[in-house]
Amino acid sequence: MKRSKMMEFGVGLFMLAGILGLVFLGLRVSGLGNGVGGETFTLYADFANIGGLKPRSKVTLAGVRVGQVANVELDQEWFEARVTLELDADLEGQLPRDTTAAILTSGLLGEQYIGLSVGGDPETLAGGDTIRDTQQALVLEELIQQFVSNMVRE
Amino acid sequence: MTDAMLVELEGVRFSRGEKEIFRGVDLQVPRGKITAIMGPSGTGKTTLLKLMGGQLTPDSGCVRIAGQNVHRLSRRDLFRLRRRMGMLFQSGALFSDLDVFENVAFPLRVHTDLPEAMIRDVVLMKLEAVGLRGARGLMPSELSGGMLRRVALARAVALDPELILYDEPFVGQDPISMGVLVQLIRKVNQALGLTAVVVSHDIKETLSIADYVYVISDGQVMAHGTPASLDVDRDPRVSQFIHGEPDGPVPFHYPAPDYFSDILAEGMRS
Amino acid sequence: MNLGHRITALGRGTLDLLESLGRAGIFLLQSSISIPSREGWHLWLRQMHFVGVMSLAIILVSGVFIGMVLSLQGYTILVDFGAEEALGQMVALSLLRELSPVVAALLFAGRAGSALTAEIGLMKATEQLTSMEMIGVDPLRRVVAPRLWAGFVSLPLLTVGFSVVGIWGGYLVGVEWLGVFEGAYWSGMQSSVGFLDDVGNGLIKSLVFALVVTWIAVFQGYDLIPTSEGISRATTRTVVYSSLAVLGLDFVLTTLMFGELG
Repeated sequence: MKRSKMMEFGVGLFMLAGILGLVFLGLRVSGLGNGVGGETFTLYADFANIGGLKPRSKVTLAGVRVGQVANVELDQEWFEARVTLELDADLEGQLPRDTTAAILTSGLLGEQYIGLSVGGDPETLAGGDTIRDTQQALVLEELIQQFVSNMVRE
Repeated sequence: MTDAMLVELEGVRFSRGEKEIFRGVDLQVPRGKITAIMGPSGTGKTTLLKLMGGQLTPDSGCVRIAGQNVHRLSRRDLFRLRRRMGMLFQSGALFSDLDVFENVAFPLRVHTDLPEAMIRDVVLMKLEAVGLRGARGLMPSELSGGMLRRVALARAVALDPELILYDEPFVGQDPISMGVLVQLIRKVNQALGLTAVVVSHDIKETLSIADYVYVISDGQVMAHGTPASLDVDRDPRVSQFIHGEPDGPVPFHYPAPDYFSDILAEGMRS
Repeated sequence: MNLGHRITALGRGTLDLLESLGRAGIFLLQSSISIPSREGWHLWLRQMHFVGVMSLAIILVSGVFIGMVLSLQGYTILVDFGAEEALGQMVALSLLRELSPVVAALLFAGRAGSALTAEIGLMKATEQLTSMEMIGVDPLRRVVAPRLWAGFVSLPLLTVGFSVVGIWGGYLVGVEWLGVFEGAYWSGMQSSVGFLDDVGNGLIKSLVFALVVTWIAVFQGYDLIPTSEGISRATTRTVVYSSLAVLGLDFVLTTLMFGELG
């Protein structure tokens, strides 16, 4: 009887550890806790070129993570990329209307993310608004082309 | 079909692969008696028990137990019939993950709703009958071969079956435990009034307990009768087996080409 | 004549294979579908201990080492591109999508699968299964079913454990030893790992592997020739067949799950 109790306890611990492990994978590894877990609101931004931006890429403000990319789709009318952002609900009604969104790269070849920088407009963005002022991703080939043509002109 | 017969085999044929093991076996086991089935090794005596237990199906012929054709029963009815049978295996076949007590209690637990106290009483009673009440806490790996079989016997009779099948109960036992087993089988039979089938090739022990004997050879019943009548049987095959003569109608040599030419052929090759 | 013989042999081989597949399928159905009972629960618990808890040590130790090696190798490559920030992402994705399900399944086949085959085989060889049938208890339900379900539940849990300690091992080497910025390790991971896409798909993989490995193990045990040689052969077959099945199925599943992700 004693041995069987010990065994049941062991199996119980095993199951519990498995479930805790799954929670760890959810919160710490896939980052379910930050962004999706809390209250969010949605903003849109149109970019001429998003480079390597993907759903779940992070969105930062002054380098601090404030949300993530929820969706990327092609705007059939203007042939631009329409990016859906999910931001912390605390920021709703706080960001000025002339806030800009730029696609930046962390490190030389690292992942791409969206960096927000605020302007000075007294009016603010509400949920569902679109950020007008955007800066497209830096594409290495275009950069080189620009550089070369400048050289030629000089 | 008389009511006095508990087990009846009629024209049972069975083959395994190419090899024909039984070519029409007829035998009857009378109720309340010990019937022995004997024969040289390799004649498929264990197979015969498995046919009776419904684990193997004959190619033709039928096996009836208490009037029911074993191989026509549904799986559920077959399992129900098996509750009325006990079987003692050559190796004992105790469940290695349960101790002696739980092994004997196993059939009671799965087939009855007896309260724990009652199960305990029954198990201790059966263990007392085989003289191993003191060993109830041991695991099967701690028992000797003879003790294993005695526990297995206690387990086989736990549900008070009508029929008990013994598969080679005396093989590989020292004289003392052999004597104990012989006595036990006889005692169990008399005390519970059950029907027993003993499959064995230990002649002396088997003849001493059997009421009726079938001798099987070459897939057929070669002889049958009471132990006394077989002892004086004139048939050379029967007397060779019963008296344990090394050579006779059952040859000492495995079939082989002529000895002389075989040796010469070996010489020619090298 | 010779060609005829070969064609016959090919045909016989195919039929044998189909027959044993059929038997294995019926076997799986008969043993997995049963009414849960209080007693069945106890038998299952016992097997969970034997199959799951006892495999924990080897799985966790292997997980730590795999995570550490992954981190070390990844770092030396990534640092050339100045992209060591992506270490966490690399470690987590390789573990979750690929290494944890596959390596845990292979270890499980070696540790628990072979033991299941040998145990059931031994029960068959010592006539325990036959005697159970004669007592009127179906060994498929009593012996096979609890083992099948224990394996099916254990392996995904073990896989989760493998991933967790692997990521921790990667953290030890990458952050503590090689000096990757801690925040980058975790945030790179969080921004690239999707719970359903990566953790979920990895779990689906390990569920499939669990089913296949335990199925092969118990079937090989139940179907073997009950001699000592038969048991040793069946044990070997369990490890070989389950390893091949895991690796082959992994390719198929990966194509289905991650094929279009690029």
